[in-house]
Amino acid sequence: MKKIAIYTLALALCGGALYTAVAMEKAKDEAAQAAAEPKEPVVCFESRKGATEVTQRDIKPGWPNVKCSPTTGAALWYGDPFDGTVPMGKMPGLENLPEGHALVKPRSEKLAILPMCGTACHNGVGPSFSPPTLPKDKKPTAIPTMESLVPDLKDLQHGRGRIWCLDCHHTTKRDKLVDHFGDPISFDQPQLLCGKCHGDKLRDWRDGIHGKRIGEFASNGKKRWFTCTECHNPHNVQDGERNRGFVQLQPEPPPQLPNGMKDASHELVHPVAH
Amino acid sequence: MGYALNIRKCIGCRRCVHACVAENNQSRGTRPGEKIEWIQVLRMERGMFETEKLDHGYPEGLGIQVGGNAYTPAGQVLEGQFHYNPEAVPEKDATYMPIACMQCEKPPCVKVCPVRTTYREGDGPVVIDYNWCIGCRMCMGACPYWARRINVTTPVLPKAEMNPVTHYLGNRPRMRGVVEKCHWCLQRTRQGRYPACVEVCPVGARKFGNLLDPESEVSKILERKNVFRLKAELNTFPKFFYFYD
Repeated sequence: MKKIAIYTLALALCGGALYTAVAMEKAKDEAAQAAAEPKEPVVCFESRKGATEVTQRDIKPGWPNVKCSPTTGAALWYGDPFDGTVPMGKMPGLENLPEGHALVKPRSEKLAILPMCGTACHNGVGPSFSPPTLPKDKKPTAIPTMESLVPDLKDLQHGRGRIWCLDCHHTTKRDKLVDHFGDPISFDQPQLLCGKCHGDKLRDWRDGIHGKRIGEFASNGKKRWFTCTECHNPHNVQDGERNRGFVQLQPEPPPQLPNGMKDASHELVHPVAH
Repeated sequence: MGYALNIRKCIGCRRCVHACVAENNQSRGTRPGEKIEWIQVLRMERGMFETEKLDHGYPEGLGIQVGGNAYTPAGQVLEGQFHYNPEAVPEKDATYMPIACMQCEKPPCVKVCPVRTTYREGDGPVVIDYNWCIGCRMCMGACPYWARRINVTTPVLPKAEMNPVTHYLGNRPRMRGVVEKCHWCLQRTRQGRYPACVEVCPVGARKFGNLLDPESEVSKILERKNVFRLKAELNTFPKFFYFYD
């Protein structure tokens, strides 16, 4: 009887060891396969879909720079709020901030055609540019190439017909914006331009009431400042389909229904008032 | 610490809700009671005055429109939908109001806790020591803001999704049978960083700062904007302020 028990135990041990070995091999195979297959990079958007995309990557093992929503593709969590930022540059009213505490994500990198604007077409040479011939009535001439590059231009929804391209864009340096004195402004500092008209918003933005900042919350802390064009599309700010200045977004999924409830129709039934 | 939220800006996208879940290690299962979210976003219909309803309303037949709008909601009535799910937000006919723990100065939940496991920290937030919570849910009943949740089941938190940066009074994984709620991301704010919901709000409606610093965002809002506290008549003195431009 004892012998049988010993044999059974030995057999069980051998079987167990064999199973573990097979399982380990399988796991190794799977890991190798996963490593061999190139993963598609996860890209999500921050505030404005199509303009503020960020690619997910690991800053350190298991710690991504950003977590993306699987439902809507929105950025849901920041591992490093200062990832890919540069110092904001001089901004009136923010002189008291310590050096390097105001950061922005450069927008000019995202504007893929920007480096070409000033060299390929708006380069200041050629018969139509010498001397510069600009429409005197401040009505832009429809150029198909331009309209296909920036589709928003076909129907400019900003200023209700009271502004045109060169009120914001520099006449000769097309990779720059323009201030009241005709001096160029970088695309990374659109607040200097937008503040020309929207002074109250600029003041609120500077004081942290309007717009968004991420990083350290202390008033003199290191923050990434979201600039105007990271949330608003300057070419269609008054589009009719929106509400409260923002393009509509897909919402994240709703909360779990209470146990046993099939839908949330009870929420649509208003109790009679009073 | 203080918090302010611009209700005119909120578009009801619920990104704050899910950022909070990603940061604070809430249970995220699919079975009943396994999905816990601390922030709720209330969708409220816009009210309207209608000339044809001018003589409707209580008491019937007297030709007086009472309550301003005769059986249609108006303003911040806290009557609305939490489970709204349209294709896109914000909707034309709706306003949105996110609600979470208000971190009251006189918190009713603290008053009723029989084991004194929930209390107010010196810098503002009301916290819970989960180890001492007996799960009696007295605090859930006492909270006028529907802010507290209980783990009725064993919390579901996949290893890969856990946030490893934790705080004892904050987002450390909870056990079955304890109550939890928003604590203004103690693990972040004690290190000087914004709470997770502030960082993901795509419209910048959420503001956080030091109330004792006159230069902080929240102090500037209190100084400059129209501010109200939710259910102020209950004398709970929230440190969470709603404002509008």
